[in-house]
Amino acid sequence: MTQPEILAAIQQELADLEQISFVAHRDTREALGAIQSQGDEIALEWVRACKALFQHDRDAGKAFIRGSRAVLDASGEVLAWTNQALSFLQWRGSWKALDGFMGQLPAAYHILGSTGEARWAELGIAWCGRHLESGAAYFRCPVVELAATHGIAGVEELVLPAEDLFSQRRLALATYLPGAIRVRNLLGVEAVQPWAKRGADILQAGRLRGEAFFKLESEESMAMLLENLPGFRTPEHQRLLQLILYAWFGENFDLLDGNWSPDKGRAFVETDGASLYLPIALPSREEAILALLHAAGHLVFFSFERRYIEALFHEVGREHPPLDADKRITWRPLFAAFGEDMIRFQLIFDLCEDLRVDTRINARVPNYLTRLLAAAEAATLPAGAAAAYFELARQTLRWIASDAPQQVEMESWRPLLNESATIVDAFRIANLLYADTNLPPMTLAEREHAYLPGRSPNAARPVYPRRELDHAEFGTGTEDQDDAVKNTEIKPNPEKREIPKQAAGEDPDFDIPPEETTGSGGRVGVGIPQPAHVTGHARGAEYSEKGKPYAEWDYRDGRYKRNWAWVQEKELTELDANEATRLLTQYAPALKRLKRAIQTQKPARMAPLRRQFDGDELDLEAAIGYIAEKRAGMSPKANIYRQRVMQHRDTAVTLLADISTSIMQSSEGGGRVVDHIRAGMLLFAESMEEVGDPYSLAGFASKYRDNVSYYSIKGFDQRLTPHARAVLGGLSGRLATRMGAAIRHAVKGFDRAPSQRRLLLILSDGRPADYDDGGDERYLHEDTRMAVKEAVDAGVHPFCITLDAAGSQYLPQIFGPGHYVVLDHINDLPKKLPEIYLRLRK
Amino acid sequence: MKGFLNRLRGVERDIIQQPVEDEAGAPYYEAQENEVEIFEAAYKKRLPVMLKGPTGCGKTRFLEYMAWRLKRPLVTVSCHEDLTSSDLVGRFLLEGEATVWQDGPLTRAVKAGAICYLDEIVEARTDSTVIIHPLTDHRRQLPLEKKGQEIEAHEDFMLVISYNPGYQTVLKDLKPSTKQRFIGINFDYPREEIERKIIQNEVPELDTTQVEKLVATGRRARTLKDHGLEEATSTRALVYAGNMMVAGIEPVEACKAALVNPVTDDPELAEALMEIIKAHFAV
Ligand SMILES: Nc1ncnc2c1ncn2[C@@H]1O[C@H](COP(=O)(O)OP(=O)(O)OP(=O)(O)O)[C@@H](O)[C@H]1O
Ligand SMILES: [Mg+2]
Repeated sequence: MTQPEILAAIQQELADLEQISFVAHRDTREALGAIQSQGDEIALEWVRACKALFQHDRDAGKAFIRGSRAVLDASGEVLAWTNQALSFLQWRGSWKALDGFMGQLPAAYHILGSTGEARWAELGIAWCGRHLESGAAYFRCPVVELAATHGIAGVEELVLPAEDLFSQRRLALATYLPGAIRVRNLLGVEAVQPWAKRGADILQAGRLRGEAFFKLESEESMAMLLENLPGFRTPEHQRLLQLILYAWFGENFDLLDGNWSPDKGRAFVETDGASLYLPIALPSREEAILALLHAAGHLVFFSFERRYIEALFHEVGREHPPLDADKRITWRPLFAAFGEDMIRFQLIFDLCEDLRVDTRINARVPNYLTRLLAAAEAATLPAGAAAAYFELARQTLRWIASDAPQQVEMESWRPLLNESATIVDAFRIANLLYADTNLPPMTLAEREHAYLPGRSPNAARPVYPRRELDHAEFGTGTEDQDDAVKNTEIKPNPEKREIPKQAAGEDPDFDIPPEETTGSGGRVGVGIPQPAHVTGHARGAEYSEKGKPYAEWDYRDGRYKRNWAWVQEKELTELDANEATRLLTQYAPALKRLKRAIQTQKPARMAPLRRQFDGDELDLEAAIGYIAEKRAGMSPKANIYRQRVMQHRDTAVTLLADISTSIMQSSEGGGRVVDHIRAGMLLFAESMEEVGDPYSLAGFASKYRDNVSYYSIKGFDQRLTPHARAVLGGLSGRLATRMGAAIRHAVKGFDRAPSQRRLLLILSDGRPADYDDGGDERYLHEDTRMAVKEAVDAGVHPFCITLDAAGSQYLPQIFGPGHYVVLDHINDLPKKLPEIYLRLRK
Repeated sequence: MKGFLNRLRGVERDIIQQPVEDEAGAPYYEAQENEVEIFEAAYKKRLPVMLKGPTGCGKTRFLEYMAWRLKRPLVTVSCHEDLTSSDLVGRFLLEGEATVWQDGPLTRAVKAGAICYLDEIVEARTDSTVIIHPLTDHRRQLPLEKKGQEIEAHEDFMLVISYNPGYQTVLKDLKPSTKQRFIGINFDYPREEIERKIIQNEVPELDTTQVEKLVATGRRARTLKDHGLEEATSTRALVYAGNMMVAGIEPVEACKAALVNPVTDDPELAEALMEIIKAHFAV
């Protein structure tokens, strides 16, 4: 065609269009000028496409025509995308897809380049062929989100796997895409496929449930994401973290689930002044350990100490607000004066207080600052206003990590390095710094990015004011670990209370929901029931079956109360033979190993009887002695034989289990505590059958002094019957732990034991406590201590195996050093229980 | 001194060794508290002594030192569960056609006026522990039942026992009536400054900052004792770690080999111990 012919053709097309639609004609003309700059021939192609698309579907045509100008600007060309647009002619009702396509085209050119754009279009057009609605969802999805930061590869990694899911499980891209993008953002691309596969299955089972899954609205979807969260997973390292904290600070902290999920933003370790709340995962092991040390440091170095909190409020000339119903305090009034600018001040305050605390931690944990700084240097600077805070924090860290040299701009921070500085000093210095800061203002949304790895907002949760008293033995500055470790006095701690297992994760400065006290997670050994009412006087009079009375030691009077605790022998009636069988199957390999170990121990342990008057073999040594003595003119006894009969090491053992309510809690090792106790007792019993020593099994629980139940499960003279196994399989928790009375009763039980050496193994998960102890922990501690002493005097050796991580705080006083073990790994219980016995009897 | 010792290597020696009298031969011992005075006083009055404390905290070394100081020979018997009273007191032996009585180590110590050290006495059978009773009170006699004799102990004789009140001894504790007969000296791991001196002395090639770190590591590791460690990190183990370092092993690895691997198979506990070690040594 010649030039004039082309121009004429364009005019003809335009005239045709005008016939069909005024608007289409007008819009086409408007864009035409720009398009024509690419050449008239190209313009003709374009106008033809406008007409074809408009005739096919008015909306499609409009979208194409109106979008063209912007696309031209972004791409600098016309034919490629015009031809792509023409593909949409294949399908009826494709306007939505085309509309999305035209809308995203500029971004596609911008972000993916022209080859990337071609691939992007190709993928989407293929989807239109499979499932038009999915194609539309694809093209309507912002290219930035599709590509993440990976260009066309990002698009492919997200979309290609969906092709199989579609062909095999009919999972539409439309359903998949929005959730998949979020999952990829949160957890990385590897997490997407397993998540989507699972979702596709659920979708097949039920539409609604499946959709909720893909919208990340259902529990199961969230749970699955949490399971696959990358990084350092705290629940799996709970014990390690606890051990590390104990090693550095000599304290057992409650590590609870912080109820964080990735969509809530950055993962932080938080504290409410009593417990530490861990997110399910942190970016790395190092960051997790630093964060843990940092948060514990706030507790140990008094960020939440009552006296200082009061001083803070005094500082701003306010009464501190009344504690909330849960006895917590909120910091909010402290910041009220800053109004709109509260977050800026809070951040500065946190910078000061964190610097103070980190300095103190470093005095305890060598190289802590070096590590903190290394993590900070390795991190990428956040975007926006947070960067300034982040950088300032790094600068202060660098400064103290290099021993805080004289530097004009740093001098205002120096007082924080002083050992005697408190949070009140941090607050004052923060006020001074705030007064002439050039740090930018901040929004709540940006705030989380201002913190260095390991640090976190300090006032993130309302806090339980801590009592410095609890730390008195730590001194206020000088490190003195000996005191922490060797502290031998039983500390009454009446303030110890049931700790909420879970707390809302939002920013409570702005909204303080009451903490929920139910929920999952939590740890073993806190479940001492609170007294319902403190009576229990002479209730026993109503009973005809009062059982057997024992004296109880009252430390307050320094004397025994006679006939005070009444023990009734009862039977456990909940049987579960299936559970017993199931547990024995589950632990069959462990049991097999144990039995083998017992076998190999046998010959050494059960040495043949030496120096017998009768036997199958000569005892060589005895024989030589005999002859020698005879020659020497003496008349020795002719005990010169060895007997092949295996000798029984003369030990009898009672395993006495605390079966109070607390064992029904879920355990950190998965399952409930009671499941592990059942398995442990079963394995113990089965091993004892192999060992051959006389043994008995019992459990105990109590409610008031006149109602201590002693459940004998197997006596010394009884066999391990299927019934006894079923009782163990059905074991459950009830009531409280009056340990002294139970010990006294168990000691009496040894009257029926045949052996000389008598061992009482007590399996427990917490402190002795009962409903009527009036919250005086010390009372039953002291009584138990006396019961242990009485047992020793009666020739019975008590030994306690506890699941309570805090056990080493009170067990040395009750059972004596070396007469207990703390099992901090509950999963080990079944295996450990027989092992401990084998060791003890050696 | 070294040369003299070297000449003794691989040579049979009698269990009763006359003490080396010169200063240079003094075993190195760093007093923790007043144990030296207590021991000397007990010795002056010929009262038997019981050394209590965890493994590797210096009990044996202390006794070697005291024997040197008091210029007494030292006889050490490590007790075990098959140890019979004959093993301590003595027995008849055949020699050609004749029988001869051979004194056991305890008898020899009683005769020679030595210090007899029964290490880990609770390991021995109870019937062997009762024979020490008459030696531990004012009688100071050793009955030789087999020979129908009794020996009055030499006036310089002294009996010392040790035991480690730990997890394994719950069932094997000494009878209160036995314990009562002794002057008890409690040992524990030394204080920080003292432990540093000890390590420095035992491993002179180790530089001071390493010694400090090692001791700090050990003290920190001890806090985990009740969390599954059957025995806490001992001074002996620290000496071993120091020696490994001097032998060219990386500090973290040396500590792992001496302080972690031998004491636990529990992976988390091991990791926690490693965390402590790395905090001190890996920068
Ligand atoms: N007070 C001390 N002075 C000098 N060296 C010491 C001291 N305490 C410990 N050591 C060092 O520790 C090592 C172990 O000490 P020793 O063998 O005396 O321990 P122990 O208490 O007898 O242990 P066990 O109970 O295992 O026999 C010694 O070889 C020595 O290197
Ligand atoms: Mg902080």
